[in-house]
Amino acid sequence: MKGFSILFPVLMLIFGSCENDDFCAEDTTPLLIIRLYDKDDPETLKEAPLIVWADQKDTIYSLSLLDSIALPLNTNQEQTVYQFSSTTLVDAIDFSYLREDLFVSESCGFISIFKNLTATSTTDNWIDRVEISNSTVENETAAHVKIYH
Amino acid sequence: MSKSIINCCFLLIVLCSQAQTEKTAAANDSIVYKKKYGVRLGVDLSKPLIGAYNADFTGYEMVADHRLRRDLFVAGELGYVEKTSQEDTFRFSTRGSYLSAGVNLNAYKNWLEMDNELYFGFRYGFSRFSQTLEEYSIFQRGVSIDGKTAAYFESATEQASKNFDQQYAHWASFVLGLKVETFKNLYLGASVNFNKLIHVSRIDNFKNLYIPGFGKVYVTNTGISFNYTLSYRIPLYQK
Repeated sequence: MKGFSILFPVLMLIFGSCENDDFCAEDTTPLLIIRLYDKDDPETLKEAPLIVWADQKDTIYSLSLLDSIALPLNTNQEQTVYQFSSTTLVDAIDFSYLREDLFVSESCGFISIFKNLTATSTTDNWIDRVEISNSTVENETAAHVKIYH
Repeated sequence: MSKSIINCCFLLIVLCSQAQTEKTAAANDSIVYKKKYGVRLGVDLSKPLIGAYNADFTGYEMVADHRLRRDLFVAGELGYVEKTSQEDTFRFSTRGSYLSAGVNLNAYKNWLEMDNELYFGFRYGFSRFSQTLEEYSIFQRGVSIDGKTAAYFESATEQASKNFDQQYAHWASFVLGLKVETFKNLYLGASVNFNKLIHVSRIDNFKNLYIPGFGKVYVTNTGISFNYTLSYRIPLYQK
């Protein structure tokens, strides 16, 4: 009986320190979904041989023929500038937004969603125009930005 | 859940039948060992000890019980906890007091005049506390580049320091424990509480993930808490 009284709290310490092993299964901070369209036929998707990177960062898409891409937005700033290269031409698009933080769960913690999204192309070497189709980035189900080229 | 209820009922039946055999035995035997009655007061030794080693925890708990019948006790706990919890992407602190009350049923048959207990019991618990979200960083999915997955941009970290005062929670517990009389009227005890939340205050854009007395709130709204007590019974009378 007295031995058990010592063993019991030891057992409880073991069980008490068991970590919750559930991982984040909910949606996390959404990526910006961009789709590429034909400038002469605005209803049709048009692929481009893309290389995409943000200033002072690694290339996130390295030479892939795509008509749809997903890019992370920088949560430390209210704007993110991405460079888009197709063949040898490079265009920069400046994405501006307001960040809002949401608590999801214990395992996911906080995520950000982005509101009042604007996209400005400062150059137009191969991109004809940029259009916002959804100014609130809260999920990845539909495109937020359309690029016509 | 229903299985555990059935198990508890079974335990009760076993206890009652044991009590009856005891009566007949007592009738045949001329010696009846009397039990001491009186309020038993104690402190939890584990919380100050954990607090001494862990800078993120401060806690105290007082316990009390009183024998109603030979194997039935009314029992309660009163405590105070200050705890800082560090999760993967956020940190918060909790501060508050709690009170729980209920009954213990002894399932241990003592030899001679010994007065030890191996008991199970039920509690209703209540806590009033405040929660502070200290800091968080944004959770984002990694981007795969050259086979390596990492965050493309470093996550923003916010010093939120958001305070949520006047939070309430109440819960029900199933208790398993033991008490051993080590010296005359002095008992060493240990118990583990399996808690199920009945209600907790909701907060805007955050959640009460730790409750004083209840412990960490798991996804199923359950929690585990324990204590290791030293208590003294003020002997009033025997019967």
